[in-house]
Amino acid sequence: MNIDEIFDFTSFTIDREPHIVLDTEVCVGCDSRGCTNSCPARCYTWNEEEKKMTFVHDGCLECGTCYVVCDRKAFTRWRYPRGGFGVAYRMT
Amino acid sequence: MTRSFQAIVVGAGPAGSSAALSMARAGLDVALVERGSFPGEKNMFGGVLHRLPELEKIFPDFWERAPLERHIIKKGVTFMTGDSSFNTTIEAGSFDKPPYNGYTIFRPRFDAWLADEAVKAGATLITRSSVEDVLQDNGRVTGVTIQGRKGALKAPVVIAADGVLSFTALKAGLRRPTFDAGQMAVGVKALIDLPSDLINERFGLVREQGFANEFVGCTSGVRGGGFLYTNYDSLSVGLVFHLGSLKSSGKTPYDLLNEFMEQPQVAKMVRGGKLREYSAHLIPEGGYDMIPELFGNGILVAGDAAALCNATGLNLEGINLASHSGILAGQAVIAAHKAQDFSRKGLSSYKKLMDESYVMKDLKLYRRAPKMLHNNRIYNEYPEMVCSVMESLYRIDGGAKENLSKLFIKAAREKVGIKNLAADGLSAWRAL
Repeated sequence: MNIDEIFDFTSFTIDREPHIVLDTEVCVGCDSRGCTNSCPARCYTWNEEEKKMTFVHDGCLECGTCYVVCDRKAFTRWRYPRGGFGVAYRMT
Repeated sequence: MTRSFQAIVVGAGPAGSSAALSMARAGLDVALVERGSFPGEKNMFGGVLHRLPELEKIFPDFWERAPLERHIIKKGVTFMTGDSSFNTTIEAGSFDKPPYNGYTIFRPRFDAWLADEAVKAGATLITRSSVEDVLQDNGRVTGVTIQGRKGALKAPVVIAADGVLSFTALKAGLRRPTFDAGQMAVGVKALIDLPSDLINERFGLVREQGFANEFVGCTSGVRGGGFLYTNYDSLSVGLVFHLGSLKSSGKTPYDLLNEFMEQPQVAKMVRGGKLREYSAHLIPEGGYDMIPELFGNGILVAGDAAALCNATGLNLEGINLASHSGILAGQAVIAAHKAQDFSRKGLSSYKKLMDESYVMKDLKLYRRAPKMLHNNRIYNEYPEMVCSVMESLYRIDGGAKENLSKLFIKAAREKVGIKNLAADGLSAWRAL
């Protein structure tokens, strides 16, 4: 299983409006960045060279991990996608 | 448009739909609000559906009606280390007769069925609706608003059954604003297609018999475990990690899941299968000490939203506790309607019903289990010790044999230390 191919095996109805908004400036000062390894969908990536955090909400499984592991309160918004959007499990 | 109901349930999972079903059957006008485009769309679990005594009162022929996959007749635990493993399995004849002891299910089917039963009983299901806020009047919950919709849903009582992070309970002031990663676990799961006759052959099953296996020592040092369950014509394979331990390990859940499925013993079980779906979710594993306030003025909390999950290491219970708490919450609301008292006091019968039920009794009994399971040795050294003792026991190579107790003490001394063994034994004894 290659996590970068998540869209091949899990269905999503992607909302253009992100349900999670991250203040990436806060992440620059974070020393754990536990979101980058804990997120089961690899939505968070840290670029060490550019000292930059990137977050993509498209493949978010809405599991709640980042909400709990972030100890810097870096979210300016954390909610579930609008009704009808987001991950759509079929048989799990 | 503002609509009024006699009760609002947030979340059409096992807790919410059970609550809505019990209230609708008593004649209440109930709104069941679900953010997915259908109930179950957002829901996954890595587990077995256990007996649902309260739901079975409503559906005495539960196993004939509900969309179930296989009933579990065989349960196993595997201790793993590298390429060795030690298995224990229990296969019981009584597990093969109704009322069955547990089932594998697909949440998008099971949850949709249960919500549909609530609708048949008269509940109004409102899908594609994420609750935005909780309406309050003088400190009393009076309804909810929906993201992107005008107006509100009003009712004298709201049941928060919106899952592990329960923003409904947060907004009503019933849960703390932050969670402790030490009280949470995250599960990841791969659903793998495999023909049913191949599953039967491979796992020694016939008809709709099922097998459920847990694994310890398969998480590369992260506190957690693995599971493999047989569905009718697919396998659910996954891992569950203590979130704090996963976070500090720097390892990723999907890499660990891949490693697990490539482990020789597991690879043989999933061979030839095709990945159909990948899913993940948080699990509230803090036990009794994690439970928030269960009720307030005009509000009750049920299911994962109330952290009702019993993880003892042997079984992982959640849906059964969710459904049970949902039905009890429904009963409390029915009583509150009779007395026309939706205050904290009027809804306090919920807590009483809960305290008298197996839900709270079990969680109280296993109160120390979460702490006991926060012991890294369980996930590394003990599986190694068990495998090493068993390997020595079965090795016949011309060398003189050692007696069992010597073998055991030697392995214990090497792997965990005698002092640790004694302390861990005591801790497990107390917790379980």
